[in-house]
Amino acid sequence: MAPIIEFKNITKRFGGTVALDHVSFSIEKGEIHCLCGENGAGKSTLINLCGGVFTPTEGQIFVNGQQENINSIKKSEKLGFSIVHQEIPLCLNMTIAHNIFLGSAEATKGWFLNEKHMNEKTRELLDLFNLKVEPTTLLGALSIAEQSIVQIAKAVYFKPEILILDEPTAALTNDQREVMFRVVRSLVKEQKTTVLYVSHRLEEVMELGDRLTVLKDGKYVTTKNVSDVTMDEIVTLMVGRKIERTEWDRSYVTNEELLSVKNLCNGKKFQNISFSLHKGEILGLAGFVGAGRTEVLSSIFGADKLDSGDVYIKGQKVKIRTPKDAIRQGISMIPENRRDDGLVTSMTIKQNAQLAVMDRISNRGFLNESRSVKMMEDMIAKYSIKVGGMNDMILTLSGGNQQKVVIAKWIGNDPQILFCDEPTRGIDVGAKSEVYEILKDIASQGIGILMVSSELPELLNLCDRIIVMHEGRITGEVTREEATEELITKYAAAI
Amino acid sequence: MKEKRKIKKMGELGVFAVLVIIFVIMSFASPVFLKTSNLINIVRQTVEIGIMAIGMTFLIIAGELDLSIGSLFATTAMFGGYLFKNETVPATLVFFLVLIGGIVLGCVNGLLVTRVGIPSFIVTLGTMKIYRSFAYAIGGGQSIGQFPESATNSWVWALGAKINGIPVQIFVMIGLFIIAHILLKKTTYGYQVYATGGNARAAHLSGINVKNVKLIAFAIMGFLCATAALVSTAYLGTVTTTSGAGREMDAIAAVILGGAALSGGRGTILGTFLGAIIMATVKNGMVLLSVPVFWQDGFIGVVVILAVLVDLFFHKNDSER
Repeated sequence: MAPIIEFKNITKRFGGTVALDHVSFSIEKGEIHCLCGENGAGKSTLINLCGGVFTPTEGQIFVNGQQENINSIKKSEKLGFSIVHQEIPLCLNMTIAHNIFLGSAEATKGWFLNEKHMNEKTRELLDLFNLKVEPTTLLGALSIAEQSIVQIAKAVYFKPEILILDEPTAALTNDQREVMFRVVRSLVKEQKTTVLYVSHRLEEVMELGDRLTVLKDGKYVTTKNVSDVTMDEIVTLMVGRKIERTEWDRSYVTNEELLSVKNLCNGKKFQNISFSLHKGEILGLAGFVGAGRTEVLSSIFGADKLDSGDVYIKGQKVKIRTPKDAIRQGISMIPENRRDDGLVTSMTIKQNAQLAVMDRISNRGFLNESRSVKMMEDMIAKYSIKVGGMNDMILTLSGGNQQKVVIAKWIGNDPQILFCDEPTRGIDVGAKSEVYEILKDIASQGIGILMVSSELPELLNLCDRIIVMHEGRITGEVTREEATEELITKYAAAI
Repeated sequence: MKEKRKIKKMGELGVFAVLVIIFVIMSFASPVFLKTSNLINIVRQTVEIGIMAIGMTFLIIAGELDLSIGSLFATTAMFGGYLFKNETVPATLVFFLVLIGGIVLGCVNGLLVTRVGIPSFIVTLGTMKIYRSFAYAIGGGQSIGQFPESATNSWVWALGAKINGIPVQIFVMIGLFIIAHILLKKTTYGYQVYATGGNARAAHLSGINVKNVKLIAFAIMGFLCATAALVSTAYLGTVTTTSGAGREMDAIAAVILGGAALSGGRGTILGTFLGAIIMATVKNGMVLLSVPVFWQDGFIGVVVILAVLVDLFFHKNDSER
């Protein structure tokens, strides 16, 4: 019998970036197939290909032996796919029952809503998942964990042929996870549902999966029976790429403490975070997506709140409530999401670059155009930003050059401490190495850099020390000399 | 690259083109239209809306809206009228009290939006009703007119007078437009307004106090409403409880005509000025052509939608990039 899904030579490119590179493997009917890989390995892209969100640049997908062109979400549903995404695409302002039956023919009877049917069926479903709430409860009143269970319940109700779960347990408690596993298993057993399971929690893969496929940097690595491998072996398969590490003179790294934080807590996002950052040091923050790295940065920066914990700058205890306070204390932050948090897209290159240094280009509130132009010219020259004119709109630049503007903007502030969140996200290889050079140069001036990155090679190459987080806690710290992909991935997966 | 900059300016160019077209059509349609007296009349009729539209430009660029300005105008006008009539305080003091009153009412809007966190549409919809009630209450439901000499002989009344046949209020308006243009383009405050409306989160992360930027814009709005109220009082010599009604929409229309985006981050003072002139020109033209008065609003509605269509056409290129 033909496998239920077969990927044949799938390649997906986004501009110059290759997200999937000639990936071929197949999934058998009725199995629980796990997908493993680091951040950026191509897992999400593969799921989105199944969901009809993207279409492959090259290669074919076969469903039940039939070549299919999955070019829309509707088509994907018709083929029997049901996908539970990491983010919850439900309406918080509607009841649980209405959410589950949204868009379904079962929701109506003639011209009217069939409330009775919806509520009855929803109650059965909630019982199955051991969720003790009324079907008529508004979804917004539920916790994130309960909402994700509703999402899974919805997927299960319509008895899909292929159920794809993308990090479904991220928000769940252990009990809730057990319940979900039980439901998934019974689904496989009774209805021969095929499950594609994506999780960075390897213990779940070991517990639930039949087979697993490992992806790395968009390439297919291998497919194995779960019973044949250990967690350590999976980690080795996930990493193990050759890393080019360049060494340079790092004698400027000191032991002088610039920033130190003690026992920082922020609700469920992270707990008991303590570390210190030294002058001239590049400190990496590694971990899987959702480990709380970004939240740590933005909480120290005053863009997110802190429940408890102390922040010291050069040994002095400081209170930072807003980004403005942080900037005054000499901290700059290059945010993770350039488009949403870093740039004002309706403004020009120069305006964007000088947003944080208004004091320097103005006199008593009046902008000094010539000083502003001079400063921008220096910036463009120093960071070799490729621009047509400094008064062009920021979006006329390529991603790499936009990022250089964002970095220049924050360096222009003369910070003592620089936070970078994914500083090379979405930019091409050439621009990446330019950004690395800029970061090295900044560090050599005695600025301490705290850097979050999901790209391990980047951290291994740049950082003097790396702290690893797992689900809101620090699980390990390694020096540049000790650091290997394998060690960090083990800490990140907490095994 | 120069090309792109051109497109950026198209917003204003578009309104300007519309204005020229209207002028050409009108000069053929009516012999009176191009007479100096009529042209002065058009600009005079722009004053009230124009002054209020300046404040609206700041708010819309910052990503906010103020629906209460018609009522704010009426309240401050009635407040001033009451004080002028009573003669308890000198006219100069009344002048400043009215301006302060306008700023206070504007700040109430601003504080409710920025500190309490209610959307500006809701806040100012509420204060539109509340301030209107204030206007009624101050006058006991009656208009106030026939001001005493202490008021009419004061310098404040010069706002309603003419110099060499040109109304003083035109100079007031143009002066305010120039100051506003400088404030928006040449100061850090203006820079912050654009950043706040363009991407409030990025602005916040850049250390800009987004809340204060918006609060100040609401205060400016209140100040300008009070200014318009004083000018109108001196010009008409009477204040009515119902004055200013519907002016909020006219002001918004002028700003939108001028190429601003309701979503924030985009707009210019020059554009708003042209937008306000267009509105007055269309009204004036329809009177000259004896178009029944009930068609005036409808026609202005058509002009607004057309202008935005033109704007969409030019800015489509922007988002594609």
